[in-house]
Amino acid sequence: MTNMGKGKPFLEVLASAFHEDYRFPFLELFAFFYILGTFVLSNFTGSLTSASITTDEAVAYSIASSFISGSLIVFIFLIFKNIAYGLGNELEKGIIQTYFSYPLKRRAILTAKLLSAIGVALLLFIGIQISALYILAPDVVLPQLNIVIITYIANLSYPLLITAIMLLITLKLRRGGIGLIVGIILYFAISIVALIAFFVAVTSESPLFLQILSVISPTYALQYHYGGGLSGISTSLLVPWAPTLSEVLLYVGASYAIVASLFALGYIYFSRRLNL
Amino acid sequence: MKRWTTIIGRSGTTLIAISLALLLVSFVPSISTHTSSGYGPLGSGRMNILVYARNFNPQQQFVGEVTVEGTVTLYVLELTLEFNFNLSSITAFGYNFTSADLQELLEEQPEKILWEHTVENEDYKWSYSPTRVMNATAVAYTDPDSENDLFEYTVSLRSGLAPKDKVQAIAYFVAPVGVILALPWFISLWKQRKPKTE
Repeated sequence: MTNMGKGKPFLEVLASAFHEDYRFPFLELFAFFYILGTFVLSNFTGSLTSASITTDEAVAYSIASSFISGSLIVFIFLIFKNIAYGLGNELEKGIIQTYFSYPLKRRAILTAKLLSAIGVALLLFIGIQISALYILAPDVVLPQLNIVIITYIANLSYPLLITAIMLLITLKLRRGGIGLIVGIILYFAISIVALIAFFVAVTSESPLFLQILSVISPTYALQYHYGGGLSGISTSLLVPWAPTLSEVLLYVGASYAIVASLFALGYIYFSRRLNL
Repeated sequence: MKRWTTIIGRSGTTLIAISLALLLVSFVPSISTHTSSGYGPLGSGRMNILVYARNFNPQQQFVGEVTVEGTVTLYVLELTLEFNFNLSSITAFGYNFTSADLQELLEEQPEKILWEHTVENEDYKWSYSPTRVMNATAVAYTDPDSENDLFEYTVSLRSGLAPKDKVQAIAYFVAPVGVILALPWFISLWKQRKPKTE
């Protein structure tokens, strides 16, 4: 062990984490449902009916959003399973202690676990989504690649935020059950909160609540940028808020700063405070 | 078991799962949202608008079947049509696009032609799916130099999950690659299985 570099133990932990997270046939099942979710739940015709879809950029955004919405839930289930069930179980049963015998810092162990739990799921999600989008609508994706990328980044922010919160809860409680319940509630609550924020914005003629919501989930800022704030319906006449693309990027940056700080908290807790 | 065998094997089984999902997607039938049909000769230099679609997108396609005695050229054009309706005259309604407009478009804006096929004394089935979003129109046109005794058509605008041919082609390509990658892993799993105790 003494002559072993740091790379090999890290790969050992990563391989072990991958083996636990993606036991045959979980990876295959999720890949299957990614494809089904991508094609079955996307509806270009429906998403293009809004009167605000007039530019090529808006068309690219609309198609990318329609494509993401279907398989995002599959991605969320996969990372929920890996964090709450996988990591939670290992903490509860003390399996994680076996990793501490490797000549690795704790943060490297957590990195390996997260790379397996989130990184592989994200790689599969992005790979399938972009390939499918390119196969189906290459002439939409290529000319507006920046809009498609921004749409993906904005849409992934909130699921990653929930994941970070779930990670913190799982580490603190050393079991995944409560973290999983909180994650599911947070995932569904955002739609209700968005609806309330929309009605508050309409009645008060102030976009403040929508702006706060966009810091947590910048996909709403992007929706309002393209004038389709509520399930594809043009809301630009009802809500006095149409952020510019630069403002949308600021919201995206702010939301990822929150996500990064929550993950950093998770790392600090795992490295310094977690007593097993 | 070697780790690389497992990694490549699991990549293979994932590709098999992807191809199975793509096959399943391709078997979901599309639905017809609009159908038009007609029968009769299409005189020389004349045009017939077969179907028009606003926001024609990659999840939609034109599917048609024509029977031609003589010669007819089928076109799918990137073209926005408007319907003119004049209440003062019962004959003055129709699309704002005439045979003369078509001839001008074919000569001056060939980039607007998305697809074309000339049909000569035959039954012909065709389909067209776009790769972007546009307003599109399918038309049949008899060249001024050609003659046509019969033109019978049925054309529909169909909405589905994805173009069947494209998705099936990818599935048929991905599945064997997956099997080849997964085979060594399956063989090593088979070799590792415990022998049955008598």
